Amino acid sequence: MSDPADKRGRRQGEMSPEELAAFQARVSDLDSKLDKVREQRHGRDSDQDAEMRGRGMAYGMRMATELVSAVIVGGLIGYALDWWLGTKPWLFLLFFVLGFAAGVLNVLRAYERMQKEFMAKTGGRIGHSVPDDED
Amino acid sequence: MPDPIHQFDIHTIIPIKLFGWDVSFTNSSLYMVLAVLLIAGFYMVSMRARSLVPTRIQSVAEISHEFVAGMLRDSAGHSGMKYFPFVFSLFMFIFAANMLGMIPGAFTVTSHIVVTAALAALVFFTVLVVGFAKNGLHFLKLFVPEGVPILILPLVVAIEVISFLSRPISHSVRLFANMLAGHITLKVFGGFVVMLLGAGSYSILAPLPLAFAVALTALEFLVAFLQAYVFTMLTCMYLNDALHPGH
Repeated sequence: MSDPADKRGRRQGEMSPEELAAFQARVSDLDSKLDKVREQRHGRDSDQDAEMRGRGMAYGMRMATELVSAVIVGGLIGYALDWWLGTKPWLFLLFFVLGFAAGVLNVLRAYERMQKEFMAKTGGRIGHSVPDDED
Repeated sequence: MPDPIHQFDIHTIIPIKLFGWDVSFTNSSLYMVLAVLLIAGFYMVSMRARSLVPTRIQSVAEISHEFVAGMLRDSAGHSGMKYFPFVFSLFMFIFAANMLGMIPGAFTVTSHIVVTAALAALVFFTVLVVGFAKNGLHFLKLFVPEGVPILILPLVVAIEVISFLSRPISHSVRLFANMLAGHITLKVFGGFVVMLLGAGSYSILAPLPLAFAVALTALEFLVAFLQAYVFTMLTCMYLNDALHPGH
């Protein structure tokens, strides 16, 4: 992702590597300063928290529908097959269980995607920044 | 107490009969047309100047474009950009409809499952058509994960098929349920305020549900955006499955 952007910048002659490094250092410096200010200003509870709660509700809702919809689809398929083949109630039972398995699979996949999304957004930095050897 | 369901009533504005079908222009149709006009009008006005240094309204239009384009590029890659008009229209329509619904007294198009199911079905069939057109029978590999022992393969395929078929349901129910539940909650809390005001000395408690209704309104604005975002995001992911079924 960052590689092509880097190349493009150099081709246009906007930034040499040293300038880029200096710029990045300045940005990260500014970032940590901003973090400090933000922390002082409103600690933990703020509109960010409210947004996270809204997001959490949306995610929870998403998980619930992922699970339930697969169970419903599985049940419906089983019921239709039973009705068609006259094997009541065996295929319904089988597909109900399969639907549940599909639901769990859906939830696992959705969770995986959310995790990836979250890691991409925060870069794995979940807490506030703490100075270390590299700073 | 005011009926919290009343806001979802459909009533005919212009009755139209076509080949025995009732295709009347209803309040729902009116708000759909309004949403489309609003979007088209907004982009016509905001992009009129087309200056290199955007004005405020132009930058809003550009940000919305970049937002959806980034979402699609991240999840479906560059080959997915061909479907940008489709995805962008979906996002803007749902977003505009949700936001129009937040105006007091307005009708929320997306709180009806017919509408969201139609949108989800559109996505579902687009994915099927694109998947088979691009990959042919190779598309069916989506249902056959690699490295599964042949003995349990039928079971896994059945589960994968059910999982695939459940997509349009969860896709449509999520948007519909969120909008419906949110608007009912708002109405119920508004109703509490009115009921308390008419209850003699208890009316001093009336500000309590009012404060709650105000907070809920803010949350509903967030939900209106988030649900449009989630719907579009999932559309992008499903398109990605259609374009690259191998993984």
